Amino acid sequence: MSLTGLTRPWKDFSYGFLDASAKRELRRKMLKAVAVPGCQMPYASREVPIARGWGTGGLQVTCTLLNPGHTVKVIDQGADDSVNAASIRRFLTRVSGARSTWDTLEASLIQSRHRVPEEILREDQILILQVPNPEPLRPVEPNMSVARQMHADADYGRMWLQLYEQIVRSGRVMFGAAYPSLVHGRYVMTPSPIPRWDVPKLNMARHLTILSAGREKRLYAVPPYTRVEPLVFDDVPYKVEEHGHLTCYRSGLKGFFMNEIPQEDGGALHEVSDSHLGIKAIRQGDGEDVATGDTWYTNGEMGQ
Amino acid sequence: MAYVATRGGERAIDQAERLYRSLMGDIDAQRVAEIEAALPLLIDRLMGESSLYAPELAALALAQSGGDLYEAILLMRAWRTTQPRLQVAEPVQQGQTFTHRRISAAFKDIPGGQILGPTLDYSHRLLETGVLGGAPYRPDPVEPAARPAPARHPSLAEWQKAQGLVHDVQTEPVDKDKIPDLTREPLLFPAKRAHSLQSLARADTGGVLALGYSAMRGYGNAHPTVNELRLSEADLRVRHPRGTVFSAGRVRTSQAEVVTTKGKGALQVGFCATFGWNEMKCIAGATLDLNAPGAAKNSPVNEEFFLYHTEPVEASGFCIHFKLPHYVTFQSALDNLRAAKAKAEAPAKEEADA
Repeated sequence: MSLTGLTRPWKDFSYGFLDASAKRELRRKMLKAVAVPGCQMPYASREVPIARGWGTGGLQVTCTLLNPGHTVKVIDQGADDSVNAASIRRFLTRVSGARSTWDTLEASLIQSRHRVPEEILREDQILILQVPNPEPLRPVEPNMSVARQMHADADYGRMWLQLYEQIVRSGRVMFGAAYPSLVHGRYVMTPSPIPRWDVPKLNMARHLTILSAGREKRLYAVPPYTRVEPLVFDDVPYKVEEHGHLTCYRSGLKGFFMNEIPQEDGGALHEVSDSHLGIKAIRQGDGEDVATGDTWYTNGEMGQ
Repeated sequence: MAYVATRGGERAIDQAERLYRSLMGDIDAQRVAEIEAALPLLIDRLMGESSLYAPELAALALAQSGGDLYEAILLMRAWRTTQPRLQVAEPVQQGQTFTHRRISAAFKDIPGGQILGPTLDYSHRLLETGVLGGAPYRPDPVEPAARPAPARHPSLAEWQKAQGLVHDVQTEPVDKDKIPDLTREPLLFPAKRAHSLQSLARADTGGVLALGYSAMRGYGNAHPTVNELRLSEADLRVRHPRGTVFSAGRVRTSQAEVVTTKGKGALQVGFCATFGWNEMKCIAGATLDLNAPGAAKNSPVNEEFFLYHTEPVEASGFCIHFKLPHYVTFQSALDNLRAAKAKAEAPAKEEADA
């Protein structure tokens, strides 16, 4: 018997980069997060080889869930070829051997910064949202231990007051992205800085969403078929961005969330933010046989 | 596929990285060895903020990052993530460390003596420009004292405890394997004492200095007096599977105790220790620790405030993340702004619609 016979060959890193103890902690915290929807679970949050604030929370969740059978999609602001998305995708495939894709329909894990894809996600897909600031109460209470107590007491009065003040001052609710939303009637969460356009997609969704903030060391979840209700007053309805009437100048797609591209002539063009949806539309236009899934929005209106 | 070609994506980030690395050129073992030999204090600071005592790796991280300290810390911390925790070493006792420098500003002389050790404190800060003209700078050799300083020094606080000047806090003995570990548990507040000290030990020197300095200038209640500042080498004592405890090597450590007389009948003590020799961080960190009890929420000397904001990897990472595209968030806010503006300009129509 020799020593080498008793041990595994030395490797630079564990499978999926994180070691077994880190993955175990994350699995436990994810299970807790699913059990208490919208409630922030603190976790140790290991340092990973990308900078904090660049998707380390999402990365740790994805690294824990990944296995070679998965197909992973990574998007930043809706685009697969955005530089940081490219960097994260390269890292994930490098440490896991999983396949990668740009197509939402093919992906089993989708790590995203600031967008939910336009095609409806299925029960066998998991959406992992990168979160810069997990605390919806931060604007009214920067101290995290006090905010934690407020969540425990469901003390959201100051959130409502903030909403009211916005209406008084600006004539409308001024929350842009990261619109605070009540999950399962109990915890207010920030859905991460996704546009208001995307928040209704999380309500009673078929897929599991895990939101993870690596720098702030918190993760939380929206399990499948869970209510996600943006905070609104009964007489002031929730408004998504007025993008329903816009047309993508490249793909011709209409009725989806758009990027505004300022032009030298003083005007602006729009391109569809979910970049691969646009690519598929272009390829379909070229006569290619490309499948597009059902989308949450039809003609700019959210389906029921 | 004109749609795709408009963005650089993978090729662009690859080439951008090559451009940066071309600034440093080839890295070989000799360069790493030179960095380790030439910059011991920078290596110490890096090891402290990385909470990873590995001078050779620290030198390699500096070589790879071209001296960008925050990049180097991240390299070290990410490496640390991959390493198994084999064992918790035996506790280090102050009086047992091999002490190179130990001074007190509180008394003219102290038991064991004031030992200056290595310091630039009293040097004249003049550039040796002759080096650039081809004349190497050779520091004068150290002349040993007739009577060597003792290798081990008692803690001054022990003397103060005996005098009744410092409260002897009774602590429950904790099994060393049960000491909370910040790198494996989240930091929550009110923080466990172990977590606070561990956070300070790996905190950003510049950040601790800035907040500590604000406390010294008057944004804290307590003015610090350096009770004891100590640079030592501590034996890393680990247990062999057979049960014998042995030294696996020495690590450089620094620690500072600062005190204030503002208190009820006894000196209040603030403490900070870190890997490597880094006096400034320990004095500033101990000042923050001294001011923390009872500090107002959201003040710079509130523990939650200074521990969150002096975490080098988190602070630097978040700061540079603002370089990432934020156009979706921006678009969403812009939509609000335009709608609010339109509403303000046409209030009459809105009311008529309603």
